[in-house]
Amino acid sequence: MPGPIDYSKITITPDFDTVEWWMATKEHKYLVRQCKDCGHKWFPPFPACNTCNSMDLGWFETAGTGVLHSYIVVTQPILGAFVEAVPYVVGLIELDDCHEADGSLVRVGGVMLDDEEDVAIGLPVSVEYEQTNEANIVVPRWKISGTAENTWKFNE
Amino acid sequence: MGALTDKYCIVGVGETPHMRPSNRTTLSMACEAVKKAMADAGLEPRDIDGMTSYQAGDSTTSNHIATSLGMRLNYSVDILGGGSSTEALIGNTIGLLEAGYCKTMVIFRSMNGRSGRRMGGQAPSGPVPPTRAAEDNQFMMPWGWTSPAQRFGMSAMRYLRDTGTTTRSLAEIAVAHRYHASLNPKAVMRHPITIEDHQNSRWVVKPLRLLDCCLETDVSACLIVTSRERAYDLRQPPVFIMGGTGRTMAPNAAWNYSRPEIHYVAGNYGRKRLFGMAGISQKDVNLISCYDAFTFTTLIQLEAYGFCGKGEAGEFVKGGRLQIDHELPSNLSGGHLSEGYTHGVSMVIENVRQLRHRADDACPGWAEGKHSYDRQAGCRQVKDARIAACLGWGTETMSSSAILRGISA
Ligand SMILES: [Zn+2]
Repeated sequence: MPGPIDYSKITITPDFDTVEWWMATKEHKYLVRQCKDCGHKWFPPFPACNTCNSMDLGWFETAGTGVLHSYIVVTQPILGAFVEAVPYVVGLIELDDCHEADGSLVRVGGVMLDDEEDVAIGLPVSVEYEQTNEANIVVPRWKISGTAENTWKFNE
Repeated sequence: MGALTDKYCIVGVGETPHMRPSNRTTLSMACEAVKKAMADAGLEPRDIDGMTSYQAGDSTTSNHIATSLGMRLNYSVDILGGGSSTEALIGNTIGLLEAGYCKTMVIFRSMNGRSGRRMGGQAPSGPVPPTRAAEDNQFMMPWGWTSPAQRFGMSAMRYLRDTGTTTRSLAEIAVAHRYHASLNPKAVMRHPITIEDHQNSRWVVKPLRLLDCCLETDVSACLIVTSRERAYDLRQPPVFIMGGTGRTMAPNAAWNYSRPEIHYVAGNYGRKRLFGMAGISQKDVNLISCYDAFTFTTLIQLEAYGFCGKGEAGEFVKGGRLQIDHELPSNLSGGHLSEGYTHGVSMVIENVRQLRHRADDACPGWAEGKHSYDRQAGCRQVKDARIAACLGWGTETMSSSAILRGISA
């Protein structure tokens, strides 16, 4: 479990392409961009479909589950907001329901609620939502949700 | 071969000392670096009519240098960028010279990389005060995932898992570059280190330790490029530009992390173009500069540019292979890990000096190309250095490169 993160020290500035994503976190929804023409899914929400170039876009509400594809353990804080949080784990999560027939997939980052000892590549994870100390900001965080075979852990 | 292979040359190099802090402006440092490069080449301010630079909103611009040094430029452009910009600007430069926009061109970087703006947003004194998470950073900064070490660490971790490589291979790179720094009077970190020293250094962000991370220094560094016809009249043996690539991208370049393999880096997409343009193969290369923001960036580029097979770099670097007098000496000045931090210019400068046979080491006759090759006595000249590959790194998904050829040795 990371220590407290002080979101008063980060001003998140949603923009034309991202504002709906940030509004959805308040409703505990994890969205990715989806093309209304061809169905392709991606994240972050770049403003055009890189498969068919459509700009007629919607959102796909993911199940908020995935597999840990990689991770880092931050021991030295860079941001003032994370000074009390170290050591903390940032996970790279491959979302379960964004795989497409052509091999396309979506991976997203996020703070892990687990300690380093409990984290391993290949484990299933699920999202949780946290109201931050900034009234307007709800952030997704991720938690190990089960076990798996063939996991890998950095043991040095 | 490329249409312009060997037609343009690097004729002058210069830099300020690496300081922490410089207590100077980026303009003051840049003027010194440009003056030194002009003196090195035997050029006067009136001979320079083109200038280009890269920066991160942290530096002076060409018009200020031209004003300070009494130049009137026919072409000047200052671009945004960090690592991987040097080789990309070499490509721009030879195109501009060929097209006749100017005749002799300066490429510079000037940065208070330690005392001014630090990479990853860190303040000079430590963790940053309140900051804005905009654009792509909206989906990284709120999870505490910002600095280059944190970003590239994600790919490094997966690489270790996928290939079975251990951090002892990363240590080999730290040791090799530090050994070269021990032979470089300009280097900031000169005491040799061992693999155990690396393994015992503190974590910055797992899987990267302190000795996996480059230095941060205040410095300006400069290259001068002109045609080979002009180069023959100048002071130094010319160093010919054989070929290169500029900020070549991998697919999905603005979000590495949804690519099938997050450590299949951009050099894989530039490799054939680079060696095809130069008209040589990896076996012809006598030395490399391989961008060492981190040990991992050097490691992964050895694969990307085909010096070893995919997943083999961890074995390839063992036994000191990257050290001078071994098969593929890398970053002979000590690189960003041990000499100092320039976002890449210093690595190209070192290759130029090596190819001239004029590495500025402890040999009394280095300026005339006289070297002892006695490492105990502080010689760092690579024997028979003829071809150097400069392998730049921006991110996993962006890389520039150049192959240079000398005539001496
Ligand atoms: Zn589409």
